[in-house]
Amino acid sequence: MGFKDSWMAMGDFGPNWREGWVNYALTARDAVGVGAIYMRADDKSKRRELAEVTYTRLLQRWNTRDSQANAWFVMGLGGVQGNDFGGTKTMFAPGLQFDYETTRVYVSAAGRLYRANGIKHDYGALRAGFSFYEVDYEQTQPWLIVEVRRMRDLSDKTEITPMLRLINKGYFVEAGVNNSRQWRFNFMYIF
Amino acid sequence: MNRLFVTVSMVLSLASSGAWANVQSIKAEVNGMVCAFCAQGIEKKMRALPQTREVYVDLKNKVVAVELKEGQQLAHDTVRTAIKDAGYDVPKIETVPLSVREIRAATRGRQ
Repeated sequence: MGFKDSWMAMGDFGPNWREGWVNYALTARDAVGVGAIYMRADDKSKRRELAEVTYTRLLQRWNTRDSQANAWFVMGLGGVQGNDFGGTKTMFAPGLQFDYETTRVYVSAAGRLYRANGIKHDYGALRAGFSFYEVDYEQTQPWLIVEVRRMRDLSDKTEITPMLRLINKGYFVEAGVNNSRQWRFNFMYIF
Repeated sequence: MNRLFVTVSMVLSLASSGAWANVQSIKAEVNGMVCAFCAQGIEKKMRALPQTREVYVDLKNKVVAVELKEGQQLAHDTVRTAIKDAGYDVPKIETVPLSVREIRAATRGRQ
């Protein structure tokens, strides 16, 4: 989520995982939004398509002079469809994220449970990286970020993706290639 | 003639430095401001204030400065609340008789 009264759009795109969200920050700590996720098994045998409404809560923020750390809670509720079952199932998707960053270092850990009747796609991701140098506010800052993520019952493989992250006051983008030689592209934009 | 030239130069220099025009800026130290993408909220909130002439965000020194339009006043609490709504903390805030351009030049000179 962005700052109070802001709209934020986010996307994460690759061959097996595509998601997009838009949310609105009602307060400095609360945001509501809508999102859609497409997930596919590594062997392409199973597919999931989820449309959800989300509530995001900044549980705690620790601001120091040279760092910021956050604890986030997200709750998603929506309908999921798949190619191995009929109709639409109601899906709950609660999640937690912790992150810590300075102008030179970034680490985060995130977990989300995608649960519906007969479905338990639990998801976990770790990220760590560093910026190549400090920049002024008007300049673009390049980072190297490595993400390790895994999802139960849909992918048996741990996905590892080194990404180049570019942070600017107007945009946030990441691009990389994972250990299955698949491309990834992420972005965030605040209106 | 030389004296006239010096006098005119001094007047122009004072006017351009802001001292003549009674320029004021509110300068805040901001904790947690580590990324430009996240700090854009501070700049947008500051620019939305009707008293604001110019805004300067200094990520390296964790400083935000808001230059006020001539004759305008802005309460420190208004700035502090806007920065907190953007997600940050303000340990120190003060009004200084400087323009944003002068604050920028001073902070870059220290680096």
